Amino acid sequence: MINAYILINLKPGDTDKALSEMRKINDIAKISVVAGEYDVVVRAQVKTLEQLLKVTNKIQMIKDVNKTTTQVIEKEIAL
Amino acid sequence: MKIKIRKRYLFYFLAFTSAIITAIVSGFDSVAQVFISNPWALGLACFIWGVIISVLFSLILSISYKGKSLGAYTIDPTFKRVRLLKKQELLYHLLAGLGNAALTIGYFLLLSMMKGDVSVVLPFSQIVILYLIIIESIIEKNTPTLIEIQSSIIVTFGAILGSISLTGTISIEALLIVFLIINPGWVLLSIFQRKLKMMKIANKPNDAINIRLWNVIFACIISAIIIMIFDIISKSNYLLEGIYASFNHYFWVAIIAIGVFFSFIFYIRALGIGKASVTQAVKASVIIFSIPVTIALGYFGITEPFLMDPVFIVIKFIGIVLILLGILSFALTLTKAYIFIRMKPGFDIEETMKKLWDVRGVNRVCAVAGHYDFILKIRTRTLVKGYERILRKVEAVPGVDEYKWQSVLKEWEDI
Repeated sequence: MINAYILINLKPGDTDKALSEMRKINDIAKISVVAGEYDVVVRAQVKTLEQLLKVTNKIQMIKDVNKTTTQVIEKEIAL
Repeated sequence: MKIKIRKRYLFYFLAFTSAIITAIVSGFDSVAQVFISNPWALGLACFIWGVIISVLFSLILSISYKGKSLGAYTIDPTFKRVRLLKKQELLYHLLAGLGNAALTIGYFLLLSMMKGDVSVVLPFSQIVILYLIIIESIIEKNTPTLIEIQSSIIVTFGAILGSISLTGTISIEALLIVFLIINPGWVLLSIFQRKLKMMKIANKPNDAINIRLWNVIFACIISAIIIMIFDIISKSNYLLEGIYASFNHYFWVAIIAIGVFFSFIFYIRALGIGKASVTQAVKASVIIFSIPVTIALGYFGITEPFLMDPVFIVIKFIGIVLILLGILSFALTLTKAYIFIRMKPGFDIEETMKKLWDVRGVNRVCAVAGHYDFILKIRTRTLVKGYERILRKVEAVPGVDEYKWQSVLKEWEDI
């Protein structure tokens, strides 16, 4: 299983609509709306890098998405 | 398509659902006591039926439909099928089973000592929330914050006031049973069920249905052994009475077992999201949900009618307000954030990861490939604490070149 964080910058506009589009994407496990340099942090859970590309592509196709930065998780420690 | 809901809502939904089912089950408990007056026999009968019902429902929920189990469709999305225990689960199940057996036996000891009226002593079992706070301070990385301690104390005292009765007696022996057997039993059960829920089995989250199934099996075996030893010492015959009672009054006991099964599934799932102390505090709302059950039982003459004494009503009201205030304070004070970190070259990734993980309040450390080197997930009760206790420590880790704090405003997650 490949896990990745996708950091998203949105254009000012209809954030709620962009979020509801993201919530429909199957391979997204978590969506966090954040305050700071980015607007949304998404955690994707996919089986292959090809699927990760599809998820990133789907996000970029959302109208108000300005830029995405993908960070693939290599190692993780969690509670 | 998977459903994404806000994690905080899911936690409160699970904990409240568990509390509502527990309140309804407590009503059937009172009815069952009319048929099985010996508390030891009732306890054992409940465990025997607990095993039967848990096995039966777990098997039904294991039925697969379109590649997913019925259990995954209905009550626990992580459930696939009933499975045998893994080696790494065994010790935790043994301790959780011991906890369940201890608190049940303690409860029945109390019932036989107080001749059925435990209404004054039992509310002190709510102090288990404070026990959990202390235990978490010692064993958990994510130690309780001042607000959590304050809220827990408010809920605990609210729960005592909300469930206390003006009748009945109080004795040191009875209080000792509550403080030394029942509460430690709850602590063992909560802490180790949580540890089991947090465990990954074959790289996937552990499910609540298997945890419940195996817990009740362990608890039943341990309880039977304790009752057998008690029988030998006191020359009583409770073990056989319990087995007979489980056959003779199967209807009421089976209904209790069904309720307890589902109540625990929701409780264990909530434990997988929140801390044991916070889950227990939210579950103290059972006292509020029990009021209509108590009124209904009194109305049908199964128990004494609900006392309408003004002093009693005021005490109950204060208790309920305190419980609600405490729960609200838990709900409204959690702050989450991400910290994105870039490192200077020449620092070992594994070593830095360990140092970042050692910072209190850091719930997740991810070494990532891309623009940043690490992504941390933070949970804190206040932003001030986030700054003083977390950010200052993170920037002090050798090799950290640049960091960005991103406060989480809203979050959705797969359920």
